[in-house]
Amino acid sequence: MDSPSTSNPEAPLDRQDAPLDRHGLPRAYAIRNERERLMEAMVRVSAAKGYEATTVADVVEYAGADQDTFEEIFGDKETCFLETYEAVFDVLIAHVTAAFEGAAGERWPEQIAAGLRALVELLSMEADIARMAMVEVTATAGDDARERYRAMFARFTPFFEQGRDYADADAELPADTARFAIGGAASMIFDEVRAGRGPELKRILPDLVFAVLMPYLGPEAAEDEMRRVTREG
Amino acid sequence: MGSQAVTNVQAGAAGTGRTREVETHPHSPKLELVNSSKREKILEGMLEAVGAEGYDGTSVRTVLARTGLYRQAFYDEFADKDSCYLAALEMGIERLEEVVGRAAASEESWRGKLRAGLGALLDRLDEDPDFGRGVIVEVHAAGPEALSRRAEALKKAADFIDLARLDSDDGEAPPQIAPEGIVAGIHAIVHSRLSTGATDGFRGLLPEFMYFAVLPYFGVEAASAEMQAARA
Repeated sequence: MDSPSTSNPEAPLDRQDAPLDRHGLPRAYAIRNERERLMEAMVRVSAAKGYEATTVADVVEYAGADQDTFEEIFGDKETCFLETYEAVFDVLIAHVTAAFEGAAGERWPEQIAAGLRALVELLSMEADIARMAMVEVTATAGDDARERYRAMFARFTPFFEQGRDYADADAELPADTARFAIGGAASMIFDEVRAGRGPELKRILPDLVFAVLMPYLGPEAAEDEMRRVTREG
Repeated sequence: MGSQAVTNVQAGAAGTGRTREVETHPHSPKLELVNSSKREKILEGMLEAVGAEGYDGTSVRTVLARTGLYRQAFYDEFADKDSCYLAALEMGIERLEEVVGRAAASEESWRGKLRAGLGALLDRLDEDPDFGRGVIVEVHAAGPEALSRRAEALKKAADFIDLARLDSDDGEAPPQIAPEGIVAGIHAIVHSRLSTGATDGFRGLLPEFMYFAVLPYFGVEAASAEMQAARA
């Protein structure tokens, strides 16, 4: 089997992006590099073909890697897909967190709107990531996959903790309010991306702002925020 | 495949004749169960199998094992697993709509209909979570056609919810996106519970679902009152 640290002269694809400095680097680095290329390939292939139709051979070919390396690093397709998904989600969360914290000092609804804006901007620029992380992931099977999927969305929950302070003082918010807000937004994004409107996702930003804030602020205040976001374009 | 199935149906039916004709009256579900045709048996078996073992884990063989039918009986009706699941999904959605519609029909007001309809839906999930998983969760593994059917069903639910717009004060009507957001949020909670196996006590979700649905049309006070009422 080829050591991943030596370049393979018979690589099946003419990769233009083959790193120049792979020779002589520590094996751990090479593996990481190989791992990242396979994950990148998984994003591209699963977004293009759908999770079901994607095979390990497709991913290996796209990455210009070999099957043994894939098996050594991931074992199987689902593991590779889910690890890729989690890595992609790290990027999404980091992006949203930066925007949310960048709006620190603003009111909480504005911070949420800033986070949502960052999310839809990223997803609309990265069509493959949107397809992979918002649509194809729902096709993964098994309890483990579903649990990991659920756990990723739960990472948005902390942004909503302050929301309870904004709710009507007399209102007792239902226990699942954050899940309602996050799940609703995810489902609206799912519909858009699935319909091929991922690149224009920014168009639904006002709708997302309303749907996410409504359970906390009530309809009127949520609509005010929606209008504000629409004005900002 | 479909038309061919009709001509073959007698082959396996051993003298009982046209099993397909048992299209029962829409308001007599009991009768439907008693006369359950071979086709329906397969469709029910398919939903249960997919709900219990996942779409990927289900094969024609698993479905047959659940129904006790022979292989030929399956292929008389369906070309493959995928087309069978699509038909099963259709049946599952229709049955849910029927359960909801029947419960809602006994109420006059929008809120009454919603409470009764949602309550009946949640009861159905409590009774048979595998059926719920087969329809609501595994649909995602079954390809684009199944997802389009799912989208259609959710749209129908949103259209019903948006009837509240007629009752809400003119100036207070929420943005057009409101019903879609309600259905998406409620769907997400149900989906999450079904898919992670937290499948007890769906009925207990009714008060908060009523809160989420009433809130955009009638405001916080009405939503809170509705949540209290649904707890009773």
